[in-house]
Amino acid sequence: MDYKTEVVIIGGGATGAGIARDLALRGIPSILVERGDFTSGASGRNQGLLHSGARYAVYDPEAARECVAENRILRHIAPHCIEPTGGLFVSLPEDGFEFRGEFIRACENAGIETVSLSPREALALEPGINPLLIGAVQVPDGAIDPFTLVVENIRDAESRGAVVFTHTEATGFLRDGDGVAGVVVRDLLEKKEFTISASWVINAAGAWANRILALAGLSIPMSLSKGSMLITNTRLSQRVLNRCRPPASGDIIVPNSTVSILGTTSLRVDAVESFEVLPEEAAFLVYELSLLVPEIKSERFIRAYAGVRPLIRSGETDDDRSLSRGFSLIDHQKENGISGLVTIAGGKLITCRLMAEKTVDFLCEKMGLRAPCTTAEQRLPGAGIGRSLQDRLLHMRREIPAARQEILCDCELVPRDEVEAVLKEGKVRELRDILHRTRIAKGTCQGGFCVYRLLGMLNELRRERNRGDSNEILMDFLEERWRGIRPILWGTALKEEELIESIYKGLFNLSGELSGGQEAGERGRR
Amino acid sequence: MINKCEKIPDEARMPPRFADACVRCANCMAVCPVSRVTPTFPGPKQAGPGAQRFRLPSEASVDDWITLCTGCKLCDTVCPSGVPISRMNLLAKAKYLREQGRKPRDWVLARSDLYGESASRLATVVNPLMKNTVIRKILDSVLEIDARRELPSYERQTFHRWFRARPVAAGGFTQGRVAYFHGCFVDTNETDVGKAVVALLESQGLEVALPPQNCCGLPRLGIGDFRGAREMGARNIASLLPVVRDGVDVVFSSTSCGMMLRHDYSQILGLAGAEELAEHLFDVSEYLLSLYDDKKITPAFLPVKVKAAYFAPCHLRAMNIGLPALELLGLVPGLDVQSVDADCCGLGGLYGFKKENCAVAEAIGGDLAKAVARIKPDIVITDCEGCRMQIRHLTGLKVVHPVQLLRDSLKPLPVTG
Ligand SMILES: Cc1cc2nc3c(=O)[nH]c(=O)nc-3n(C[C@H](O)[C@H](O)[C@H](O)COP(=O)(O)OP(=O)(O)OC[C@H]3O[C@@H](n4cnc5c(N)ncnc54)[C@H](O)[C@@H]3O)c2cc1C
Ligand code: SF4
Ligand code: SF4
Repeated sequence: MDYKTEVVIIGGGATGAGIARDLALRGIPSILVERGDFTSGASGRNQGLLHSGARYAVYDPEAARECVAENRILRHIAPHCIEPTGGLFVSLPEDGFEFRGEFIRACENAGIETVSLSPREALALEPGINPLLIGAVQVPDGAIDPFTLVVENIRDAESRGAVVFTHTEATGFLRDGDGVAGVVVRDLLEKKEFTISASWVINAAGAWANRILALAGLSIPMSLSKGSMLITNTRLSQRVLNRCRPPASGDIIVPNSTVSILGTTSLRVDAVESFEVLPEEAAFLVYELSLLVPEIKSERFIRAYAGVRPLIRSGETDDDRSLSRGFSLIDHQKENGISGLVTIAGGKLITCRLMAEKTVDFLCEKMGLRAPCTTAEQRLPGAGIGRSLQDRLLHMRREIPAARQEILCDCELVPRDEVEAVLKEGKVRELRDILHRTRIAKGTCQGGFCVYRLLGMLNELRRERNRGDSNEILMDFLEERWRGIRPILWGTALKEEELIESIYKGLFNLSGELSGGQEAGERGRR
Repeated sequence: MINKCEKIPDEARMPPRFADACVRCANCMAVCPVSRVTPTFPGPKQAGPGAQRFRLPSEASVDDWITLCTGCKLCDTVCPSGVPISRMNLLAKAKYLREQGRKPRDWVLARSDLYGESASRLATVVNPLMKNTVIRKILDSVLEIDARRELPSYERQTFHRWFRARPVAAGGFTQGRVAYFHGCFVDTNETDVGKAVVALLESQGLEVALPPQNCCGLPRLGIGDFRGAREMGARNIASLLPVVRDGVDVVFSSTSCGMMLRHDYSQILGLAGAEELAEHLFDVSEYLLSLYDDKKITPAFLPVKVKAAYFAPCHLRAMNIGLPALELLGLVPGLDVQSVDADCCGLGGLYGFKKENCAVAEAIGGDLAKAVARIKPDIVITDCEGCRMQIRHLTGLKVVHPVQLLRDSLKPLPVTG
């Protein structure tokens, strides 16, 4: 079946989702296509820092001011996606005080509140910090849950009429003379192609932006940088911890729910799908950040992952295209004489709402519509739902005795009904979609113990669509999981892995060959 | 924006490594007596290392079920990864209770050492009062001490007074001296156990000393009162350390007091000198058995015709010393003693007296009662006063400490000279 709409959005990351919501709030029909699931791209592979702007204050004051404003807005519209932890910029003896003075002044100029702390005061707040510190500055940094943020944007958009297709890839453009009149897409699960005609196509494919543009014979000057991160088993600190020095690799620890995320590295890469964390990156992060929090050396890690940042070289483009140094909105009619196509790229998770606002403002102007943006005032549908650690522990307490609820994921306390609610919504098509919408497999065992409990539910789901092979799904999941934990396998994590391996291999008799054999057997039977 | 630099009490600090060590094998879930009988308690894995990932020092505790952990330590004994689960639970419980405010009842029960002595003096008055239904109703409703449970009665003469008042034992102590830590319960409520210990040790040529001593502090620790427990511990160490430095070993007859002295003083309270003391602390049966194994003593017992059920208390098992009392009992000719196949009595010290826990304690004990009934014993033997109270309460049978039976079957010493 082919579709027709006003705007097609390619890419269901934070940017695409934000645009879908903004369009929906202004009453403009849209269809969003996402090749994987909503957070398959950078939006599910970042550090989850709710920037106060402090990290940019010295070198990019404009980006810093953007962060200040967006930070405030997100606290209002998405309180359930945010932990207002506060953050510290810690000066170690080797950092000196030189940068610190400049930093405090720059924060002041950008409107970022700072409080200078003595080493004693800082240690009282965060006992894990290197006791040799010479001082710290407190700023209103925080943590943000990108998964919930993106999914909630989509939910809100859908409830207001937007249409989304996941696991659906844009494979070509519908052309209309010199212009673009929609997209050709392919449902990757059903393996079916269809078209969506539209007056406007928005390329919000993040690091894949040039792949999309290539379909129209275009490109923008963009390079790719991989950032790797490590996740600890428990939360190391209550606050975000930064080194107080010019931003560099391996200088930040962001607490997030039950864990902390150590980041990041920065490596130029050619391929967009460069998600492998190298052993030397893991070693680098552990070493560098143990200077900030010495305990890190003996900490247990549960996963390593990487995301790819698209770096748009704004120097080579005209100034008016660059709305801010943070992100770029490109009108390909003006740029390349191709009408109906817009690219929005760069930026940060926390500026995605602003990026969407600017994009939709631009479209409205072109369409001659006067519809004001309300995304900064309208709260997301889940705002007000308690998701703090305390809330989750409390939920377990309430659920356990009464209903004898099954807790599917022990590590992250995800009860069965939460998964059932997600399934009932009817939006998930793959195992990973469930993982993006709950905290399943985000804890200590990384799904080693809980994912097989999900397979029964998933099998039902897939059988409805005539595609059931739990073994294949499980193998896929385990392969991906293995890539994520291999770089951090030492100490207790290694012990636990042996146990998990023996469960899958010994109890479930799951091995590469065997699943192939079973598959063949099943096919034979059919 | 900046928070007050509030001083964090030590029970609120929990090394993250505690949760990190768990490999999530769920061994501990198979042995926890509490989660077996009540769905309200999520079990050791979930309550300990699991919930720990959700507890922020800066946030108030919401896990009220943590008070359901009896501290039996059975989980610790099966963990292959050395996770100090019961200790995590205790720390979490302490934080919870500190925030909630402890009930007056908790203070009353935990400080029995403060009024035990006076209660003993007034035993003739106190004991009937404790059985008075009106008074029990008042205790039940005001202090939430469950009326269904019999309170232990007080002895008129405390053990230590008896010890001091008795005629000085004649010489002939060929095996040297040993000091005895009797604990509160023996002192004020079950003096015969202490008397049996003294008789048994003396019969084997050991001179018994009674160094000054206080409550071990376990009841205080049980309600998360670390400061109170530490105070008790420090006093006991101050009194006992010189004794062991003099080359005298210390024995205890209560496995719970013993566990506290030998393990918790160093591992949980981190008291100075605790480890040194621990090396010279022994369960009384463990001590006698090792002398017997070394062929230093040859106790001789008269044959008895008794069928007995022996129950190994949780804290004895957590000490990892085998079942020395059961081995000693095996030396008594004619005694048919069988080990009770149950994990925990459920009383958990003061735990079972608290109204809100009574049902859990009864349910855990129910399985023990059934296991005892299968043996059909004349008598039940167990090393812990809590277990003895609970088994009496559950079965109505006579329940004694191993030393009592051993003493009763000792051959009278040949009268010489
Ligand atoms: C290592 C790292 C750390 C970061 N840390 C932070 C941080 O702490 N705080 C912060 O605010 N920001 C951070 N960011 C930035 C932030 O993650 C990104 O700016 C943001 O997620 C970008 O969202 P997006 O929607 O533009 O791109 P993406 O999330 O990458 O979305 C693009 C989507 O397009 C889809 N797509 C690609 N090709 C096609 C196709 N042909 N058809 C259909 N769909 C397609 C992809 O599957 C993908 O889902 C970080 C980024 C990285 C890489
Ligand atoms: S100490 Fe005993 S009651 Fe507490 S969790 Fe461990 S096994 Fe269960
Ligand atoms: S026995 Fe130890 S390692 Fe296993 S689940 Fe329990 S606490 Fe974790």
